[in-house]
Amino acid sequence: MIGVYREFEGVMRLAGHVVRRLPVLALPPVAESLTRQIYFTGASATAGIVLRGAFIGTFIIAYVIDVLDANVALAVKILLWVVLREVGPLIAAVLVIQRSGTAVTTELALMQISGEVANLRHMRIDPRDYLVVPRVVGIALSTAALTFYVQVIAVGGGMLLSALTIDASLGELFTEFFALASPVDFVYSVIKSLLFGAAIALVCCYQGLHAPGTSINAVPKAAINGVTQSTLLVLLLNVVFAYLVFGQAFFGLVTAKL
Amino acid sequence: MSAADQGVALGYEPASGSGERRVWIPSGGSHRSGPLGALQREQLVSAVLDVRPDPDTRLVMLGVDVDELQPAGRAALRDRIAFLPADGGLLSSLNAWENIVLPIGFHRPECLREVAARVYGMLARLGADPSALLAKLPERMSLYEKNLTGYVRIALERPELLIAEDPQGGLDSVERAAAERFPAAYLEDCPGGTFVQLEVASAP
Repeated sequence: MIGVYREFEGVMRLAGHVVRRLPVLALPPVAESLTRQIYFTGASATAGIVLRGAFIGTFIIAYVIDVLDANVALAVKILLWVVLREVGPLIAAVLVIQRSGTAVTTELALMQISGEVANLRHMRIDPRDYLVVPRVVGIALSTAALTFYVQVIAVGGGMLLSALTIDASLGELFTEFFALASPVDFVYSVIKSLLFGAAIALVCCYQGLHAPGTSINAVPKAAINGVTQSTLLVLLLNVVFAYLVFGQAFFGLVTAKL
Repeated sequence: MSAADQGVALGYEPASGSGERRVWIPSGGSHRSGPLGALQREQLVSAVLDVRPDPDTRLVMLGVDVDELQPAGRAALRDRIAFLPADGGLLSSLNAWENIVLPIGFHRPECLREVAARVYGMLARLGADPSALLAKLPERMSLYEKNLTGYVRIALERPELLIAEDPQGGLDSVERAAAERFPAAYLEDCPGGTFVQLEVASAP
């Protein structure tokens, strides 16, 4: 229990450092590192994300229509509530953990045990400034972008499937969707995905920089810790968001309408 | 600084009688420490780089007794010191050029534009082909190339004290001869600077 508390405290301290040191992003080496991280997490993962998003959207709608014998309004509500608000950010977060979370933890753990983190200190560079700040910002922005791709593709795929399987035209579905959707839904999912991305990056960076040992065996241990803890944190954050939204939150702007 | 202080040998040695260890690093010129054990090396390097020796050690460098400094003074002193590890201290994900400009990009980004000419000049002076070296990742470099890259990275910042860890260790005779030019090149770039080569004793 004490260990869990210490790790949580360490992650929160790291988060505080990132917030305080955001201006280092203006420095050329950090800006370059940020660009690389966004390319790796946000751009080069797009093809896989698009495919998965399309599959997930169509599967959700297919099952809903089959099980609930849904009409147009219900199909669109399911798309809006499940895919746009919940599944989109969650799927993007899981894919980011799988792809970038493991990479970041492994890379930083290797740098730690091979002495490269110490080399940064020898250069009077705070490793958190060079290694953590661009990764947290890059992964947070990339997660938001990937969430947007998933939402567009999954909702689009779901609409197409719905149009084929229930007695409604694509136009009706889109009209219903835009009548129900509000800017708050978009802002909500952007905030959520930014927080998911930042949480994943913070946990993975922390585990990488605090690899349990100095031998090569510490690397897979750090990777396992990074993946399991960031997954847990994302699910926890999702529960908190769900509670806020399906209760009443944001000064009454978001309420459950069942 | 008293004459007694100046009499303490360069390196990490116990002072006779008092139980206190004293390290005195002279100012100016090129120096070579006696062979240090792994533990002594670790203690000396961390004492110098942290500018915070352990309680039993008295550290004097660049004419300053570190114990007498306030935290701000220590930070200022640290800015005048650089350390070159035995393998050059490079980051494996960056090529030679990116490694070289990393500290300048952090500490003096306004100087980045004028760095290229200096880097090419330094490498040419040390007998290296800049166009062949600068695009290489550390995994493709020889030990000498790693040391050379690390040296150029440090020399660009013109530190007043450069501590190099066994820069000729593990090199063949040709590379060793090339690495022996580091102190002279450093003193040419940083007149009045101090170049210290730490020799690390091999494990028994």
